[in-house]
Amino acid sequence: MAELTLDHITKTFDDGGDEIVAVDDVSIDISDGEFLVLVGPSGCGKSTTLRTIAGLESITDGEIRLGGDRINDKRPQDRNTAMVFQSYALYPHMTVRGNMAFGLEESTDLSDDEIDDRVTDAAEMMGIADLLDRKPGELSGGQQQRVALGRAIVRNPEAFLMDEPLANLDAKLRAQMRTELQRIQEDLGVTTIYVTHDQTEAMTMGDRIAILDDGELQQVGTPLECYHEPANLFVAGFIGEPSMNTFDARVDGAMLVTDDFEYDLSQRHRDAIGARDDVVFGIRPEDVEVGAETADGHTYEVTVDVVEPKGDENYVHMTFDDDHETPDTFTATIGGLRQVDAGDSVVVRFPPEAIHVFDADSGEAVLNRSLDTAEGVDLVL
Amino acid sequence: MADTTDSGLGLNRIGLYAALALLVAFYLSPLESAIMTAFKTQTGFFETSPFVPPTPSTFTFDAWGQAFERLEQGLVNSLLFTIPATVLSATLGSLVAYGLTNTKWRGQAFVLVLLIAGIFIPYQSVLVPLSRFWSIVDVASLFAWLEPVANREGLVALAVTHTAYGIPITTLLFRAHYQALDDSMLEAARLDGASIAKIYARIILPLSIPMFAVALIYQFTNIWNDLLFALVLVQNPANDVVTMSLTSLQGSMVSQYNLQMAGAFITALPTLLVYIFFGEQFAEGVAGGGA
Repeated sequence: MAELTLDHITKTFDDGGDEIVAVDDVSIDISDGEFLVLVGPSGCGKSTTLRTIAGLESITDGEIRLGGDRINDKRPQDRNTAMVFQSYALYPHMTVRGNMAFGLEESTDLSDDEIDDRVTDAAEMMGIADLLDRKPGELSGGQQQRVALGRAIVRNPEAFLMDEPLANLDAKLRAQMRTELQRIQEDLGVTTIYVTHDQTEAMTMGDRIAILDDGELQQVGTPLECYHEPANLFVAGFIGEPSMNTFDARVDGAMLVTDDFEYDLSQRHRDAIGARDDVVFGIRPEDVEVGAETADGHTYEVTVDVVEPKGDENYVHMTFDDDHETPDTFTATIGGLRQVDAGDSVVVRFPPEAIHVFDADSGEAVLNRSLDTAEGVDLVL
Repeated sequence: MADTTDSGLGLNRIGLYAALALLVAFYLSPLESAIMTAFKTQTGFFETSPFVPPTPSTFTFDAWGQAFERLEQGLVNSLLFTIPATVLSATLGSLVAYGLTNTKWRGQAFVLVLLIAGIFIPYQSVLVPLSRFWSIVDVASLFAWLEPVANREGLVALAVTHTAYGIPITTLLFRAHYQALDDSMLEAARLDGASIAKIYARIILPLSIPMFAVALIYQFTNIWNDLLFALVLVQNPANDVVTMSLTSLQGSMVSQYNLQMAGAFITALPTLLVYIFFGEQFAEGVAGGGA
């Protein structure tokens, strides 16, 4: 068990003379026993970051420390980390027992009996004790996944490194394994870095999440921080499903003017925006009040374009310019039992306490929703 | 309706099987004739058609006995150099392929290009340098301390030559197989603490068994059937290999076809046995299984 520190790590690849920066000056402190999710779109450098920690890739610059020891010059097998791969990476010719024992046989001096005890313990923990004498080819995907986790657990490492370990499972099993993984990680208390492109996994599993884009760290924070107080436009768009609605806007005195609507700004808004002229206006789909009754400077009449029923809730895609062939839409989520049909004309309200404003040039958040009124907003919806 | 379709299908089937039977007869008739001939006396051969089975009066095992007697030493000699050359070329090919796929070092591509070029060098073009080479390397005095080897210098030369000649093609066979292996599995093994040698011994090698069957069968058949290198490299008649002994069955005055046919079967028997022995793994290897 140990804390893991990524200290300004950079990784560049040489691609026939061109230098490709895969990881760009990333620093993260992961405390002992923490579950950190590294999330981002494909090609953002999250897997590369994980592989540099494992030692499968060298770093170009920076330092990696595990439990205070600098490990970036150590060989992978000397780093005391265990990795779980998306493809499970089991040894197909060995039994489950052989797969789990392999690492202990190769990297420790434990006797056969001790190895057997540890394998049995880990197998019981993962609920695969009755599969120990089977080969991976005879197991289902979910069972193989458990073996892969068991193989990591049995090593008793200082850190778990997981590279999209649930990506190959079907949706039901994935949801089940998500909670199970969290439980196991909590029980073992091993520092864990979990790479995924799936923002649901990021939101639900991590103590904290780190969002990467194009090799650069965008934000590190608890899931709710990243959701409600995104550091920039990228995080705002990436975290949350459906994504936050954004509109390019111009500041005109006490108003925000977009192509579609004008929005009254409060004093709090104006203080945050300062002297900026061009900003991006953002609001989460669940914060859009559909069917608002009181008319003020934050209500607009729009047309429903498409309704996606999800059962528990409906995603309603709405537009300001319904006479357009392929109109620009924004999304609101409403309760699953509320009836709205495509073509309906409805009044929506963008509550002033729920809006986000971003700098148009840098994408940095200049104003996030105020959290003290979040409860009240929920009640109104 | 159903009936006509059925009978139509039935007719098609009959036609198909008739055609297949004809093809089988066409392809197997030389083989059948050879077997029949091998069991006939010389008179029997002259008096009957080749594919007609021998009558009791013209039936004999003599040709087989005689052929085996004259090929016996050749069979032993051939086994003596073919087995080591086959095993060595497959093993070395597997090791080279491992080095070329799962490790990273400078000059890899160059080595691969050399190996691929090596596959296409015809036997004939290296005969002169080859015989020069083996006249410089004096196997007899090199192994003077080990008489059984020193006495078989031609066979040692053949074993080494065929091993070297076989490495490119076996490397290519194994390389294709190793490239298809899951990279993350090998990375997992590295993280598990296994060294490069251990990864080869405990993971790559067990997963290569079907490919070994392919390489062993291919190499064994090739090396066993070679005559050209043997003619150039074997000087001592005591070291004649089986393909050389087989040509000597031809006789200078009278062609004894029964003897030649029996000899040909005896010569081909080991390659057949190798196929039977490794058949299952061979099928798996060709189908790309095992990984």
